[in-house]
Order: sequence, then C-alpha cells, then structure tokens
Amino acid sequence: MEKKKTETHRPLLRSFGAQQVIVIGVIVVLFLFFSVASASFRRYTTVVTLCNYMYYILLMAIGVTFPLITGGVDLSIGTGIICYSIVGSYMISQKGMPVLGGMLVALLLALIIGFVNGIIIAKLDLPPFITTLCTMMIARGLGSILTGGLSGVWPMAGSPGGWCRSIFKITVGGRVIPIGMIWMILLVAVMSVILRRTRVGRYIIAIGSNKEALRLSGVNVVKWQVIAYLISGLFAGLSAISYACTFTNITPGTGAGLELDAIGGAIIGGTSMTGGSGSIFGTFLGVLVISLLKTGLPYIGLQANWQQIITGMVLIGAVAIDMAKRHQAE
Amino acid sequence: MKKAIAILLSMVMALSATACGGNGTAASAGGTSAAPAGSGEESYHFEIVSKGFQSTYWQAVYKGSQEELKKLNSEAGYEKYTMNFVGPDSESDVAVQVQEFTSALNAKPSAIGLAALDTDALLDSIKSAQSAKIPIIGFDSGVPNAPEGAVLANASTDNYAAGKVAADGMYDKIKGRLQKGKKVRIGEVNQDATSESITNRGLGFIDEMIDKLTADGYKVFVTGNQKYVGDSKGSTGTEANADVILEVRVPSQTTTELCATEAGVILNESDTIAIFGSNQVAAEGIITANGTLQVCGTGDDQIIAVGFDSGSVIKGAVKGNTMYGAVTQAPVMIGSVLIDLLASAAAGEEVKDKDTGCAFYTSANIDNQEIAQNLYD
Repeated sequence: MEKKKTETHRPLLRSFGAQQVIVIGVIVVLFLFFSVASASFRRYTTVVTLCNYMYYILLMAIGVTFPLITGGVDLSIGTGIICYSIVGSYMISQKGMPVLGGMLVALLLALIIGFVNGIIIAKLDLPPFITTLCTMMIARGLGSILTGGLSGVWPMAGSPGGWCRSIFKITVGGRVIPIGMIWMILLVAVMSVILRRTRVGRYIIAIGSNKEALRLSGVNVVKWQVIAYLISGLFAGLSAISYACTFTNITPGTGAGLELDAIGGAIIGGTSMTGGSGSIFGTFLGVLVISLLKTGLPYIGLQANWQQIITGMVLIGAVAIDMAKRHQAE
Repeated sequence: MKKAIAILLSMVMALSATACGGNGTAASAGGTSAAPAGSGEESYHFEIVSKGFQSTYWQAVYKGSQEELKKLNSEAGYEKYTMNFVGPDSESDVAVQVQEFTSALNAKPSAIGLAALDTDALLDSIKSAQSAKIPIIGFDSGVPNAPEGAVLANASTDNYAAGKVAADGMYDKIKGRLQKGKKVRIGEVNQDATSESITNRGLGFIDEMIDKLTADGYKVFVTGNQKYVGDSKGSTGTEANADVILEVRVPSQTTTELCATEAGVILNESDTIAIFGSNQVAAEGIITANGTLQVCGTGDDQIIAVGFDSGSVIKGAVKGNTMYGAVTQAPVMIGSVLIDLLASAAAGEEVKDKDTGCAFYTSANIDNQEIAQNLYD
C-alpha cells in the first residue's frame, strides 16, 4: 500500500522508469555544462554535428537492444558496419552498381551475419559473447578481403549518386538541417511499438526473463531468438549506410570498439545486462549521453584520452545502477 | 541434424578465421614468391613491410614499387627481382606488423623494406635481421630511432620540410586577413602524436607558421596537444595578448570520425581563419566536419583549409575550392626509389637516404603534369 502511494506521487518515474529520468537529468546537466564551459558549443552547428555523429551509433544501439534484452549481446556490429559499408562502396565504385544497389548489398550482408549469429546462438546454444566475438573478427577480415584491403568512399555530394549524402542532412538557404533526426525519431517510435506492443517484442522480453519457462509453454524460442539477432543485423546494416553517408573514408579492418558505444548507450538507457528489460526510448537517451560526451568533451579542451576515461566512468555508473536495480528486485 | 549444423558452421567459421588471420597480408601484392632464376643468374627477393593498405596513399607506394620492379626485371631480361608487399589493416595494428616483419625475416629475403609503426616493438626482429645480415631500407616514415647501422638508407619525404610547405602555402592566402590586436585562430589536426612522419609534419607546419607570423610582427600562442606544443618552437605571446592562436588537436584513435570531431571543434570556433590536416585521414576529417558546418572555402570570410596527400575526396574538395590546397608527397616515387635502394643494398652497394620530395597544389595547378602524376584516387 505504501509502495503504491509512492508510485502515484511519482508519475514521471512511473512513465519513464527511474533510470531514464536520471539519464534525462544527466543529458540536461551535460548540455548546460558544455554550454557554459565553451562558447563554441552553444552554436547551432554543434547540434547539427551532434546529430550527424549520433545516427550510426543510435542505429546500432536500437538493434543491439534486442539481443541484450534476450540476455545476449552482439559484438559483431562495430566491425560489421565498417564491413557492410565498405562492401557497399566496393559494389558502387568498382562494380558500377547504383547507390541503392550498394545499400541493399550492405543490408543483405548485415542480415546474413545477423542470421548466422542467431542460428549459432539459438540453435546450437553457443554463448552469444563468444559467437559474436567470432563474427566480429570474421566481419573485420571479410571487408578487407572482398575489397583487397582498399579503403572506400561512397559518392560525395554533387557527384553521380551523391544524393545519398542528403538522406541525413540537407542544406536550406546555407543552413544545414539535420533531417536524419526525423528518421531516427520515427524508427525509435516504430521499434518501441514492436518491442512493447507486438508478439515479437513480448517474446524477446520473455526470453530474457525466463527462457526455459517460455520454452516449456510451447513457444518456439529458437525462432524469436534468431529474430532478435536479425533485428540487430538489420540495424547494423542501416547504421552502415548512415556511416557511409556521413563520413568520407571507410577504412577496412577498423570498427572494433564502435559496438561499445552502442551497447554502452543501451545500458545507460536502462537495458538490463542480464536481459528481460529495456526500452528503445531508453536506448535513445543513452546514446544521446554517449554522443554528448563524444561531441562535448573536445570543446572543453580535454585531451583525447581523458574523453575515453570519462565515457568509461559514465558506463560504470550505468552498470552500477543496473546491478542495484537487480538486487532491489531480488 | 544439430551436430551436422554445428560441424558445418564450425567449418565456415574456421575458414573465415583463417582468412582473417591474413589480416595484414590480405592485400599482399602479386608475384610474391621467390623467382626461379636461370642457371648462374642472380636473383633477389625483397620483403616489404608497409604501414598498411588502408589509404590510397599506400596503394600508390605499392604501385610505384611494382612498376620499378617490372622495369628492373625488364632491363635484366629475366625475373631477377621479386617482392612481397604486406601491411596491417590499420596503423594502430602494431602487433600485426611485428608478426609480418617476423614472417618477412623467415622468408630469408635479400633485403627488407620497412615503414615501422613502432620501432620499439620491432627492435628484437630488427636485431635478428642485423645478425642475419639482411639489409633494411626504411621508407615513408622509415624506422625512427632504430639501432645505429640497422637501417642502411631511407626513401622518404622530408616530413618537417613538407609541413613547412603547407604553412607557406596557407600563409600566402591568409596573410591579408591578419591584423595586430585582432585575435584569430589557425587549427591543426594530426591523426596521432606518435608517428615520426605525422609529428614532424605537424611540427614543421607549426614552426614555419611561428616564424612567418613573428617575422611579420605578430604574437603567437600555441595550444592543444602537449606533445606538439612542447616540441614546437613555442609561443611568442600569451593567450591574452596573442594575435594568432595556433591550436593543435589529436584524436584518441586514428579514425576518420574522431578526426572529424576534432576538426569540427576548430571549425566551429568563431575566430578560426585556417586549418591544416597533416595526412589523408586528418584532411578527410576536416572535409567531413565541413560537410556539416559548411564554413570552408577560398572566400575572404571562409576558413582556409589545407590538407595533405590526395585521394578522390581531397582532390574533389580542392577542385571544388572547399579545400584551398594540399601538399602532395610523391608516393609513387617513394615506392620506386625504395626498390632501387633495396636492389643496391642487396647487391652490397653503398646506399644513402633519398628525399623523394613534395609540392603544394591548389585548384589552379592540380592538373599540371608534375602535380597530377603524384595524385591518386
């Protein structure tokens, strides 16, 4: 009765969850801090830059939230996005494919890797960490082999196929508009509905909560677990497209570590490391924290390595909150 | 069924893992095995360990070495020289390069070409090469701080001088915008603070800019990365009274997105009038950041961007006047001179360092023959 009364008096906490309210607070504090500390940060262009560098992390993070909720993880997405975008670039520049074709190849390859991850983990019961660590290495080598070690570039604005540079930002009257954020908000909304309101989402959450109970109740656990990794693969493919359309040079063999920004974002946003809970909106907020740190810390004159240390400390804080929540639940 | 799938997937993964194991050698050049020489004919095999294949710059070095090898073989009338050109995927892969250098030694080559990522990590292998009397020729950034006598010669750009060339090219364009008492900012983005070639280039730019500005009576304050600030000629003014702030930024990793973030911070400062990116990755980082900020150009109210090396993105930016200019090395020449030095060293001849040169290019001279031949996509 006491608990119920408390909840009624905290509508915000009830709607978003305590962790997400904390994260929103952190975002506001970070934004104010950087704005006060650096005059250059307070410019409109900083917001555009923040959005621009956030898309590929957010897309990876939305995808990886699904395996995380099942109690698994997908480490292959970091090197994966470099592999998919570089193969897409190779198909466009070397094989004469239209940009749309390159995008489809990137998405297809991402789905294949996602499917392989899902089958190995769900059907063969191999640990997700080990499986996706292997596919992470495979993706890292695959891009280099397919392109002969060459770095890749997707068509630049103004050149044939350069329309792809306008997917995430357009220039109106000399001012850059980060329209990619519209696509991101739509995707967050759609994937939130899928996670909360559809059978796919409910089963994925149930796998993370109690996989054995779900199996005993006659649900095809393998199928839904594979779907979780397919979603992760699909979003890694979308992330690859956004990466290729944002940056100039895609270097084969790189990408290791990018997945940590995405996984970190999901965890900061309240996705449990042991599975069973999480939300796409939370992931969005978590990625905003990571991106704010990545964009804002250079503005206050911190040497590059300090930026990594501070990001790591924020992650420790998020994991500690997750652990505390679990202990409380137990 | 489950077992069969397990075996099948294990095989696929093992196969792929084997392919991944060839990380550094994935892009190894063709014609890699030692050539069977005819009776009594001398033959030489060279192992070349580069910093990687990640940029088109390295592809151009490889092309130069391949062409020179072909030329020498054609002059000899038989396949007198062969080579194996390898390199890690990323310039952060020091351990992969150490493995590649060890494999190169095991191939017992007539001579080895080396562009070291980290000399300390290669020290034992370099000593083994010395013991086995295998001559080492450095190229690109060479083998900085190698034990005395270990590297016989280098085929490389004088990077400090190349940095000065970038500063000279930029200064000519911006000097009209400088005013005593009106603070402006010139930025520099370097992909790292460890590689000899990058640091020399960065320092060459800073020192030359300090000299030029001081000669014209301006006070300079150098700030940012400690390594560059500490090793440069130093500030001639304070942050408060300087006419020009020289700000040096280095990302935590050598990736385009992190270089773009650092470049974006400089471009976003309201007093920035110019920026220099000291290699292809850093220069492309500036172009990426400018894609969002749209502040670079050649107009009087725009930021003058100067890059280094080429590649389709930088060439396009220079041609389109988004980037005012860039310094090109002669990567094809580096590859070609490397083979000549390796051939001479293998034959026991005396060899010495060769500067392969560099030049500043803008949209005005990008198509000139002497520039165009060194530009690559």
